[in-house]
Amino acid sequence: MGFVPQIALLAGAGIAIGLWLLVRGMLGYRTAAQIGDTATSRIATLAAGEVQVSGVIEPAELTLISALQSARCVYYRSTIGPAGEYPEVAHEFEEERAVGFRIRDPSGNLRIFPRGARWDVPTQFDDSTGLMGDEPPGLAFRTGPAVSTAELDRATAIAALTTVPTSPDFDPLAILGGISDRYGRGSGQRRHYHEARLEPGDPVTIVGRALPFSDLADPAEADVAEGSLAADDPEVTGDIAEARAAGLLAGSADEAWGNAAIPGFGIGRPTRAPELDPAARPFAMASPTEAAQIERRFAIAPETLVLASAPDMPLLIAFGVPQVAVGRQQGRFIVGLLGAILAIASAMALALMITGTITR
Amino acid sequence: MTPASVAAAFAVGLVLAILFFLAVTSYNAVMSLRQRIDKAWANIDVVLKQRHDQLPALVSAVRGLMSFEQDVLTDVARARAAYSPTEPIPEQAAHAEATSRAVRSLFAVVEAYPQVKSDANVLDLQNEIERIEGMIADRRELYNDQVYRYNTRISTLPTLLLVPFFGWRPREFFAADPSEIPRPSTDL
Repeated sequence: MGFVPQIALLAGAGIAIGLWLLVRGMLGYRTAAQIGDTATSRIATLAAGEVQVSGVIEPAELTLISALQSARCVYYRSTIGPAGEYPEVAHEFEEERAVGFRIRDPSGNLRIFPRGARWDVPTQFDDSTGLMGDEPPGLAFRTGPAVSTAELDRATAIAALTTVPTSPDFDPLAILGGISDRYGRGSGQRRHYHEARLEPGDPVTIVGRALPFSDLADPAEADVAEGSLAADDPEVTGDIAEARAAGLLAGSADEAWGNAAIPGFGIGRPTRAPELDPAARPFAMASPTEAAQIERRFAIAPETLVLASAPDMPLLIAFGVPQVAVGRQQGRFIVGLLGAILAIASAMALALMITGTITR
Repeated sequence: MTPASVAAAFAVGLVLAILFFLAVTSYNAVMSLRQRIDKAWANIDVVLKQRHDQLPALVSAVRGLMSFEQDVLTDVARARAAYSPTEPIPEQAAHAEATSRAVRSLFAVVEAYPQVKSDANVLDLQNEIERIEGMIADRRELYNDQVYRYNTRISTLPTLLLVPFFGWRPREFFAADPSEIPRPSTDL
């Protein structure tokens, strides 16, 4: 009879991993039921309430630039961590971002507000540095801003193509969390890169609540200043007047944000002249046609149905058509059941070792 | 308690937890499906009521201009009068189908009357009713898809094992029995 620490350690790890896989599988089963039990609506005849829509992603006003591959996308989750053991747990760098987008099916398109959404997005990039510290092919760190306009005008596109945004001593890893020191050449540590993202054109299935745009909660309560929120409540209007008198609240969006309140400013061409430093290079103004396009891009009619998370129903955004998304989750559940078998077998092995049936 | 019995209890507990999870998830899924079917049906009912309210305006708009086509107008009025939101689903489906058929016949006849076809009021009503007809078709498809998912779930494992305890029954599709759809008379 004897206690073998290595076997005990393996058995303990088997129980932990098995239980983790089981919990993950159960969550996958619930997600599969949610997607599989909801009929897919056509966007053109969508009714308010819980719906499932499926189509391809179209960018709205903005797109993101992913951190590790500089790809245009509407969602990404990028991580950098030590290669080898537990790459999913010990992240040195982790960044997750999403912007609003549209989903299009053959009947029309629908605006998605992904705040608070649950994402089921497959990995697009998963690689590690080589033994000699060489970076994996396909790695292209973002070197500029994380946000870009959805439609690049000609001047911006030319500038993006002809500008070299980095200096010779530029170190993107230093920007991405300052982790380059820990993984310098000769440090003996390898980095593991992982990025999951959704790009324009990707097929996607979304389950959530369709509601009129005017019913969407404004997380920043930015419409208080417009007088549309509880304007008939004397207490609220009194508080707003008091805040304005005290200089805590600006009288208008223009007053509060200055040039940033002008549609198109900073992410395209402004629709009217901004106030600039006289020494600054003047902006090229938008033509009337472009101005109308910009207004249309940013304006959403109050009665327009949009998809967003509700307190009792977070948005679920899954890559692929419904059958693919359900299949992926059902696969997780099968793996979860195998995890349960692993946990039971590991517990049995541990028990047998302690009782002395397993000896060195 | 020996380590072996602890391990056995762990194994049994894990299996029971999985079974409990499957039972709870299946029950919740069926409840959600029933709610979705009821909502899908309510959404069909809304557009059927819209069409019911719009048809008299269309009939009165074309009546004066199409005095020689009283049969077509009578068919539309009769089909509309048969609408009853309290009827069982197959009967409602049959009446909805008959109304759609009568409306399509009316639109086909309107094509032969240029002065009716070009009337702005008739054109607006025609576009509105065509939009409503499209919505009825889409929502009927959605309802039937939801019923199909419900019926499939309660007839497959693991939910099938719960059916005897809760008495869940398959739901009816929004589809008319062909024998119940009133056919227009053909007089050649």
